[in-house]
Amino acid sequence: MIRSSRFALICMPLLALALLSGCAKKKVIAEAAPPPAPEAPAAPAPAPPPSASEEPVKTLQDKLTDVFYDYDSAQLSSAAQATLDADAKLLSDNANEQVTIEGHCDERGTVEYNLALGDRRAQSAKDYLVRFGISASRVQTISYGEERPFATGSDESAWSQNRRAHFVVR
Amino acid sequence: MRRWTASLLFALCALALWGARAEAPAQDEVRIDLSTDTQKRIGLVLESLTAAGDRTAARVLSVQADPILANDLAGSGLFDVAKAWENTGSLPADAQAVVGGKLTVSGGTLVLTGEINDFPARRLIARTDYRGPVTDLRRLVHRFADEVALHLTGEAGVAQTRIAYVQKGTRSSELHVVDIDGFGPRPLTAFKSPLTSPAWTPSGQEVVFSALRGAAWNLYAVPLNGGAARQASHGGTLNIAPAVAPDGAIAYVSNKDGNSEIYVANADGGGPRRLTVNRGIDTSPAWSPTGQRIAFTSDRGGSAQVYVMDRDGGNARRLVSGFSYTDSPAWSPKGDKIAFVIRTGGGFDVYTANADGSNPRAIATGGQNENPHWSPDGRLLVFSSNRGGGRGLYISDLRGTIVRRIEVPGTVANPAWSPRPAAAR
Repeated sequence: MIRSSRFALICMPLLALALLSGCAKKKVIAEAAPPPAPEAPAAPAPAPPPSASEEPVKTLQDKLTDVFYDYDSAQLSSAAQATLDADAKLLSDNANEQVTIEGHCDERGTVEYNLALGDRRAQSAKDYLVRFGISASRVQTISYGEERPFATGSDESAWSQNRRAHFVVR
Repeated sequence: MRRWTASLLFALCALALWGARAEAPAQDEVRIDLSTDTQKRIGLVLESLTAAGDRTAARVLSVQADPILANDLAGSGLFDVAKAWENTGSLPADAQAVVGGKLTVSGGTLVLTGEINDFPARRLIARTDYRGPVTDLRRLVHRFADEVALHLTGEAGVAQTRIAYVQKGTRSSELHVVDIDGFGPRPLTAFKSPLTSPAWTPSGQEVVFSALRGAAWNLYAVPLNGGAARQASHGGTLNIAPAVAPDGAIAYVSNKDGNSEIYVANADGGGPRRLTVNRGIDTSPAWSPTGQRIAFTSDRGGSAQVYVMDRDGGNARRLVSGFSYTDSPAWSPKGDKIAFVIRTGGGFDVYTANADGSNPRAIATGGQNENPHWSPDGRLLVFSSNRGGGRGLYISDLRGTIVRRIEVPGTVANPAWSPRPAAAR
């Protein structure tokens, strides 16, 4: 698997091979990281409509999967840990890439508390990756608290999407 | 009755003086509170200001001044104001004073002669001239309004103060400031970034706040009268929730040593000393008025709760029990009370309690009521709320009566009440 990933990485500019690589990695993610909760789907940028003959190239940014949290918690659920296992594998396969983990919160609670909670969420995800063997120097964290919600609205379906650690490849 | 009123005023003034002197020992920082939450409002008759000197110009100004003064007095939460120009019939029998005076314009100079008489006998309590350029009309009226409160309650009002607040956009926010009566909102920043938590310096000349620029949240201080913001924290990726002590020291939250902890730095942001040491969240520091203690929020006990500790970080103890979640403490300027929020099923309520945690009382309930801050006289609280649709700024007295909604555009949050201007202290 590692060999095929490296191979894919080297050949990334080549569209035909990238297609293969994309399929292979997608499968791995699907096995390793089931969606954390039905109401909290990972929401990467919507893919452009697929053409008849080719799939878009999936970047590391596309493949890293966000982690979701319970209300007022930075604890990693088993689903969150499974997601991070897959993310850690992607990061070890892409050893030159650096990421920022953004900690986000739902709108409930004060701005100051949520900034601290978002910091803790981002840190909990980073700590997990570091225990997995990812170099701490490759992973920065930043808290957005409740300042940049992914979903608007004041109900659980919006809140659950906003309690997350979000990966950004630098 | 009138003599009784006069002696009551004398007694209140004496109490105020005694209260000021009693400040020194300040073991637990409780001073005399002239504004108990059960105090009745004082009935006032407000008369239209008369015009003198250049009477045409003065009359134009008095038409502007009357509603400003009425708004100041009613918005203080101290008075029931009967406007004489709207009450052509009988004036309220229980009124205790009549407020009025005249505006004299000569050249570009304006003199507001403010008069306070007792009622109904109309014997003079105070008459004062407030002088300035005609463009200073609002400021002169605010000064008079504050002295009406001084003469009738023993402590000046807060009509000359301002509110700093955050105007929130979807991607970024900016710091704004507005007069307490909603006049003249204007931005202090053009950061185009997430930005929170304004806190005034004791001089009222600067506002300290936190903003995310580049890869980190840092504290910044921006002068009120123009000029660029300067960075006042360094290290870590999270430096937030500043609170400025009477001596200028800044308490704030930083993750520079790992997780969010409370630090106290010098006024310029240098020499930060760490006060809290635990694995939980510690945030939202708020100084006691003498700067000897700090209220803050921590989830060290499992859920977010307000604690109080000494300035060196010692003697931390929980403020109140019986609430599953308390946050956002604000210490009253007299030291006797702490305002905070509690989480309810669907939102947040603003509460006050004595500084020892006793006697918690609801001030604003229903919906999301957050970030309470005290007026400098300790008689009012400003907070943000989604009551009435949208997120706005409201002012309540200590009985929980909303005395004012500050009308500013946009989605706004994080109000912080300025100190009184230096000349009014």
